[in-house]
Amino acid sequence: MSIFIDRTDRVLVQGITGGEGSFWTKHMMELGTQVVVGVTPGKEGQSVEGVPVYHTIRRAVAIKPANAAMLFVPPRFTKDAVFEALDAGIKKIVTIADGIPLQDAIQIRKAAISCGARVVGGNTSGVISPGLAMMGMFPYWIERVYTPGRIGVMTRSGSLTNEVTAMVVRAGFGVSSLIGVGGDPVPGTRFAEMLPDYQADTETDAVVIIGELGGTMEEEVADAMLSGVFKKPVVAFLGGRTAPAGKRMGHAGAIVTGGKGSVKDKIEAFEKAGALVADRPRMVGDLLAKIMEAR
Amino acid sequence: MKLFEYQAKDAFAERGIPVPKRRVCETVSQAVEAVAEMGLPCAVKSQVLRGGRGKAGLVKLVKSSAEAHDYAEALLTGPLGAAHGVKKVLVEEAVDIARELYLSITVDPQAATALILACADGGVEIEELARTAPEKIIREKVDIDTGLLPFQARNIAYALGFDADGVKKFVPLLESLWAVFRAKDAELVEINPLFVTGSGALVAGDGKLVIDDNSAFRQGGAEPSREYFDSDVAYEAAVEGIPYLQFDGDISLMCAGAGLTTVVYDLVNYEGGSVANYLEFGGPNYKKAVRAMELCLVNDPKVILIVTFGTIARADIMADGIAEAIAKLKPRCPIVACIRGTGEEKAVETLKAVGLEPLFDTEEAVRKAVALAKASTEDKTSTRSGGRS
Repeated sequence: MSIFIDRTDRVLVQGITGGEGSFWTKHMMELGTQVVVGVTPGKEGQSVEGVPVYHTIRRAVAIKPANAAMLFVPPRFTKDAVFEALDAGIKKIVTIADGIPLQDAIQIRKAAISCGARVVGGNTSGVISPGLAMMGMFPYWIERVYTPGRIGVMTRSGSLTNEVTAMVVRAGFGVSSLIGVGGDPVPGTRFAEMLPDYQADTETDAVVIIGELGGTMEEEVADAMLSGVFKKPVVAFLGGRTAPAGKRMGHAGAIVTGGKGSVKDKIEAFEKAGALVADRPRMVGDLLAKIMEAR
Repeated sequence: MKLFEYQAKDAFAERGIPVPKRRVCETVSQAVEAVAEMGLPCAVKSQVLRGGRGKAGLVKLVKSSAEAHDYAEALLTGPLGAAHGVKKVLVEEAVDIARELYLSITVDPQAATALILACADGGVEIEELARTAPEKIIREKVDIDTGLLPFQARNIAYALGFDADGVKKFVPLLESLWAVFRAKDAELVEINPLFVTGSGALVAGDGKLVIDDNSAFRQGGAEPSREYFDSDVAYEAAVEGIPYLQFDGDISLMCAGAGLTTVVYDLVNYEGGSVANYLEFGGPNYKKAVRAMELCLVNDPKVILIVTFGTIARADIMADGIAEAIAKLKPRCPIVACIRGTGEEKAVETLKAVGLEPLFDTEEAVRKAVALAKASTEDKTSTRSGGRS
């Protein structure tokens, strides 16, 4: 069993005719993902990798039912595209857009919650269960990162995911399901909201959290551990430990505001909850080895 | 983008929030004129984006025209102003202050709402309040689509201790602040302090307005302007759309991927090195290696440290750019490169062809860069002839 996406999901791709849309549609299918239909307004009648394209989601799903939507749509049109997917009753949505307006992101998350849907992203590479399926853009062919295995990974950063996951694999492990929640201040889905899925997943033994300064998502994971919602071992790696106060470090969400979001606070919360915190990427592999040996 | 106080107050005034009578001045003579217009005493406030202006001596209540003249001169032409990059001052009428409050609107990412914060003790930074007296902070979540409802404004007004007359003034002020928050696509609007005058009127003593950069396209496409940045190179990077932070150390980071660049920054600090600049040329900028290196070289770094692990930002294309940058810019300092990800085999060939020794481990690359920077400090002459590593 995998989390969020497997080979039974029927994926619709919004923005399928664009450069990124067509490139990653090809790779999603090559990995085994069922991409059934595409949407780009004005491009109905075309096809991409054998996938038919329609003007609107309403027209697309009338002919090719889909239960998941993958968005390759620019940030300024992302709110519209997410709402179009929600309107069609789609409950699994992934958006890679980097640069979604903040107040749009609030509206997107609110709408997803009220529809009982899950929007992952923006500013993410997406979701992958190596060897099975993906929604997003992961170079799954790089074996020293995307090796199937029994470690769950959740992350706020694409580049750091490659860096840290390579250390997981180097230590002799592999990845069950990887969820990129994204680097924005208001991600559609938060770390802690995925924990019940990882808890229930019989193919995940432990979870690696790749976080950074800013926001409170890491603290929410610690809370879920303390309250018993999540009982599997957690190894956390956090970027921005030495970041100067008040500076935005790369990601829009990577900033300490209103006295909240320092890495120091996050480490404290994790340690109190019994998670292991790695100082350096390499330590993630070492700590996992220690945990798994003890089990 | 964080706006200057005078710009925030203009935006407040447009929506009907009471602000003191004021004038923005760029020269000492303008300031002296403005002081005469406002009457004495009055406030002279340097327009800088940093917080804690009071403690830094960058705002002052002046009591005579001689004092006003000398202070405006210190800020606009003297070393005090120069040290903080002061280009403009705001001359403002004095307010008869009875109470100071705190009021702001931001977002609550978890609840997916807007969030109003208020406190009866104004004039203190909210970070300070959150630490010392969190129970004093009044919070009200506001649905971003429904908007601020009058009962929510009343909840806050009564919690702040206003009487019936005060509530009548506070509710419309908060409604106006809400309008600014929505209309400007703000990350944060803040009035701190919000003055209650001796006669019970409300006046915005300070103003902070941070506009979401991702909304710039629908906010009149405000181009970045030099005055918002602390160095020329930071400004040039912003124009280019390249995330950049200025520091004053030895090692220029020219990395791809926001999360990875932040971790490289940490690792350099762990290893006892120092960062000259944080530059991230991943994402949409991965073909801009030449421009990125040009920006790094402005800092005359002891080492340029390149670390990437890209997907869409393909390693081979970044390596081509780096080779072109080296040929074009002929950097004298050593370059440490650790480029992995899509197309890395070809990238390695490209880097070797221009005399680099590509590494594959981030921590090893950081250690090497720190060692080279230290060696360069110990023996400056050897860097000139030492070539690249």
